[in-house]
Amino acid sequence: MLGFLIGEAVRDLRRAGRVAVSAIVLITLSLAALGGFWLLSVNLERAVARWRERVRIIVYLKREPAAAEAKALVERVQAVPGVAGVLYIGKAEALASLKQLLGKDASVVAQLPTNPLPASLEVTPAAAAATPEGAGALLERLSTLPEADEVAGSGDWVERLSQWQRLLTTIGLGIGVVLAAAAFLTVTTATTLILHARRAETEIMRLVGATETTIWLPLLLQGTMQGLIGAVLALAALVATHSVVAPRLEPLVNLTLGLPDLAFLPPVSVLALVLTGALLGGMGGWLVRPGREP
Amino acid sequence: MIELHRVSKVYSVGPVKVPALSDVSLRINKGEFVVLTGASGAGKTTLLRLLYRDDLPSDGDIEVFGYELGRLKHRDVAALRRSIGVVFQDAKLLPVRTVYENVAFVLRVLGTPKREITQRVFDALRVVGLSSRAQAYPAQLSQGEAQRASLARAIVRKPPLLLADEPTGNLDEAMEDEILGVLRDIWAGGTTVVLATHQAYLARALRRRTLTLQSGRLVKDEG
Repeated sequence: MLGFLIGEAVRDLRRAGRVAVSAIVLITLSLAALGGFWLLSVNLERAVARWRERVRIIVYLKREPAAAEAKALVERVQAVPGVAGVLYIGKAEALASLKQLLGKDASVVAQLPTNPLPASLEVTPAAAAATPEGAGALLERLSTLPEADEVAGSGDWVERLSQWQRLLTTIGLGIGVVLAAAAFLTVTTATTLILHARRAETEIMRLVGATETTIWLPLLLQGTMQGLIGAVLALAALVATHSVVAPRLEPLVNLTLGLPDLAFLPPVSVLALVLTGALLGGMGGWLVRPGREP
Repeated sequence: MIELHRVSKVYSVGPVKVPALSDVSLRINKGEFVVLTGASGAGKTTLLRLLYRDDLPSDGDIEVFGYELGRLKHRDVAALRRSIGVVFQDAKLLPVRTVYENVAFVLRVLGTPKREITQRVFDALRVVGLSSRAQAYPAQLSQGEAQRASLARAIVRKPPLLLADEPTGNLDEAMEDEILGVLRDIWAGGTTVVLATHQAYLARALRRRTLTLQSGRLVKDEG
């Protein structure tokens, strides 16, 4: 029976001819657009995650505490909600870091009459606090420390990157949805043509006692086939583009975003794309199913 | 096997009501060969359509194989039709399939195992004398051959009831005889046959029970 239903669906696809081809092309375009933006979003998300791990909040202190005071302060800050780690940096350490940073120009530091750098706490936010809202709340909490002179966060640009990632996802979804709607309409048009072409078969099927399911299952199957073919073509296009473009972009991406490579879509996303294609085509086929008898 | 009790059918054409059948009651027993005759528009086709539940009566009750057709659920309509073979004046063959494929289509639709299909299709083609034309397309058949292919398709499931609606309407006299001969063979094999024809001489030639319809009313039941 399954062989018969698939055979009928393939015959229907051939009948639909160019309209079926148009539907497949539109499904391919919509899923390729969706997948392309998804690919960008996945890699930006990886970059955001990497940079979030590197976000630090610096609490500059009014004065350098004694060793015992510093230890107590670190313990107190460690207990603040949203804090994953605290590192105390004394004035001397800060100056040493500056010298290291200046390299061959470090002699400039020796000209200073006193050490102008304040002691500070380098606070690593917990994962939950590494969001714009969480980081803002943590900054506020740390500002209330009586020892704090100034609190500075370094995560703003990461949040901007995150916003870009969300924007790209939204644009990708938007374009994907518009193209998917067009693809869906084309599948329903192809199925309507098929329904018209197979009205003689439908009449015979009803006459000999085929169930309604047997009558419309080939239509559902041909729609699903259109969707699956479109999805596979879109995936092939994405794989080909990724394999050509990724090696050329990776040095630039490494330099700017700190990503060692450009990843392809994870298996779950690949499966989701294929299922979306099948669903899109299947729905188109299902909606045009023949009406029931009296 | 078939029982009609005070069956009427009225079609609405806009505001106009057109009666197709009026107060028809009859009974057809298993194994009968019944000829349903009457002029064009007498209600023969309507009566047959009601029997295979292609339409519902406006009034009255119809029982076929114990199914009360007015109360039949959709899934039972399919079950009922699996017991009925139907042939029409136009053979209604699928033009892009060969004779073999047309007949096999019915079995494939109903999920018959593949290994049985070939045997059963050729058995049916043998009954109608069309084995040698199995690979021909409908366009390559004469009208008589097309009608025989249609008969093969109707009997390939070995239904206990065959409804034939003007199967000789488009045929010349020689071909008519061919088809009537095939129908007689099918009936002799145990199938109940209801043949609708406007050609009254066919009813006389067949010498079987004849029901005569006139303007939707059953006016004669003889033989």
